[in-house]
Amino acid sequence: MKYLPYIVRHLRKTWIRTLSTIAAMALCIFLISVLQTALKAFYGGLENASTERLVTRHRVSLVNNLPVAYGPRIAAIPGIKRVAKFNWFGGMRGSGSSGHADFQNFFPNFAVEAEPYLTMYPEYTLTPEEKRAFMQDMRGAIIGPALAEKFGWKIGSTFQLESIIPPYRIGKPFEFVVRAIYTVDPKRYPNHQRDIMLFHWNYLYESTGQRSGVGTFNVQILNPNQAAAVAKAIDGTFENSDVQTKTETEAQFIGSFLAMAGDIALILNSIGLAVAFTVLLVTANTMSMAIRERRMEIAVLKTLGYSSGLVLALILGEAIVIGALGGGLGVLMARGAVANLGGIPMLSQLPPLALSPSLAAAMFGFGAFIGLVSGLAPAVGAYRANITSMLRQV
Amino acid sequence: MAAVDVQNVRKIYKRDSQDIVVLDGLSLQVPDGEFVALMGPSGSGKTTLLNLIAGIDKPTSGRVTVAGTELGTLSEGQLAKWRSRHVGFIFQFYNLIPVLTALENVELPLLLTRLSKRERRERAMTALKVVGLSDRAKHYPRQLSGGQEQRVAIARAIVGDPAVLVADEPTGDLDARSAEEILNLLQTLNSDFKKTIVMVTHDPRAAARAHVERHLEKGVLASSVQRHEAVPAGAAQ
Repeated sequence: MKYLPYIVRHLRKTWIRTLSTIAAMALCIFLISVLQTALKAFYGGLENASTERLVTRHRVSLVNNLPVAYGPRIAAIPGIKRVAKFNWFGGMRGSGSSGHADFQNFFPNFAVEAEPYLTMYPEYTLTPEEKRAFMQDMRGAIIGPALAEKFGWKIGSTFQLESIIPPYRIGKPFEFVVRAIYTVDPKRYPNHQRDIMLFHWNYLYESTGQRSGVGTFNVQILNPNQAAAVAKAIDGTFENSDVQTKTETEAQFIGSFLAMAGDIALILNSIGLAVAFTVLLVTANTMSMAIRERRMEIAVLKTLGYSSGLVLALILGEAIVIGALGGGLGVLMARGAVANLGGIPMLSQLPPLALSPSLAAAMFGFGAFIGLVSGLAPAVGAYRANITSMLRQV
Repeated sequence: MAAVDVQNVRKIYKRDSQDIVVLDGLSLQVPDGEFVALMGPSGSGKTTLLNLIAGIDKPTSGRVTVAGTELGTLSEGQLAKWRSRHVGFIFQFYNLIPVLTALENVELPLLLTRLSKRERRERAMTALKVVGLSDRAKHYPRQLSGGQEQRVAIARAIVGDPAVLVADEPTGDLDARSAEEILNLLQTLNSDFKKTIVMVTHDPRAAARAHVERHLEKGVLASSVQRHEAVPAGAAQ
């Protein structure tokens, strides 16, 4: 600690250079923190995935639906506890008479076979009164708290949605009545979305003249260890049918669904890596310049009896201070930005975003680490430098 | 006992494939408490000899013993530790750290000790008092004149109370009046504080302040002028 004032004085002396480097470092840490937070939220569904749930879909594509008749046949396979029909509805507000879909306020909405679905998805917590009211109303809707907050919907509020999926377009919007607003236990399901809307699968089925089919059968199994065998049994059942199935664990299903958007993780991580590497070069250059300018000073320190190791530590300390300050600033900036990411339309569907303490700590450490690495070359140079040759060059 | 004992020292630098002999079998003894001036033309090996005595360079062969320690037996780390305790170095261009105040510059060698911050500050202030600059403790080097900077550098050299002071042309960058002040100070350190001083200089007036003048030529001691006592302060003007 007694050397800290010495380090700080040097940083203050070239304050424009120091601040520029810290700002570059802060931007780097800010960007990586935000990208990692978004990534975590994007893949949050994978963390939520239950090991006792399988998803059966059309073998060819998610776009193709399955016959309704598959439901009882799947339910009859040994090892299966319950089966629920599930369709992505793709409903939009304002796409009716106006002809303009409100993409800005898009939210996920699904038609589900309510009783088994809500049983196998304890993530959605309803009061008994709400659940009763929902079950008794064919037009009933369960909405997430984020939707209630965003659109000002309350129990009893009505709204209309029109699907963007052709088989579900019936010439007029579907009408819904809010019967329940679900809550989520943040400790058990920290990444669960808060802006989902669920409604009765039968409402979709009947409204489309029983032509909707089933998007996926969501299956709860008795023993998670038997997941592979049960999935194989389901697919085997329909192996010789016109419509073959593909059954995956919920995590695999979500993973393959997310993969349709491309390898987001690879893209975002590549961006982060490129930015970090660039900042590493900038900081290394700054440190090299700083040390080159202080060759005399290093020679003096060594003459006074400062060991090469101590000189190395002082230079690394200076680099680490730059990195840590940049890291700290970047984390603070990211914290503020992440809290407002939900306001961006494309990201509004993600679970509530917050910079996790572990990520904040990791990013702060990463900043200090970049500082350390950037200071290595000049520090080692100073460590090895001979006093007399440095004094001669001054 | 000699404070400095240099025995048959050779120092050879390699430049490309050529060997340059800077010191060629040189021997020198400086008794405890003596003030020695090393003179000679450029390239005669004065500064190299000074660097060997200060322990910041190593001879190619031969033996250098300073304050009872044979420097050739020490590792780099041990040598650094030894320098911090036994030798004070005064540079021609002062070489103060520009971002530190005079007091902090003087305190710099004491950071290597186990002294508390308060003790370090007290000792640094005492050293500044010795060189007559206690009122400039909070000034930065850029706020001081050349002579004052050199006095701060001398305070930094003596703050650890080393037995030997080595000075590489300490008046080389100063005007006559400032040079006089620095030489007076060095004489005081020698006479009152019993410091052994080895000073490289080109200036005959500066050399006249020493007890002994040693002349180097082509890496060997060419001649020596012995004075019985130092010239009194002010006589060199």
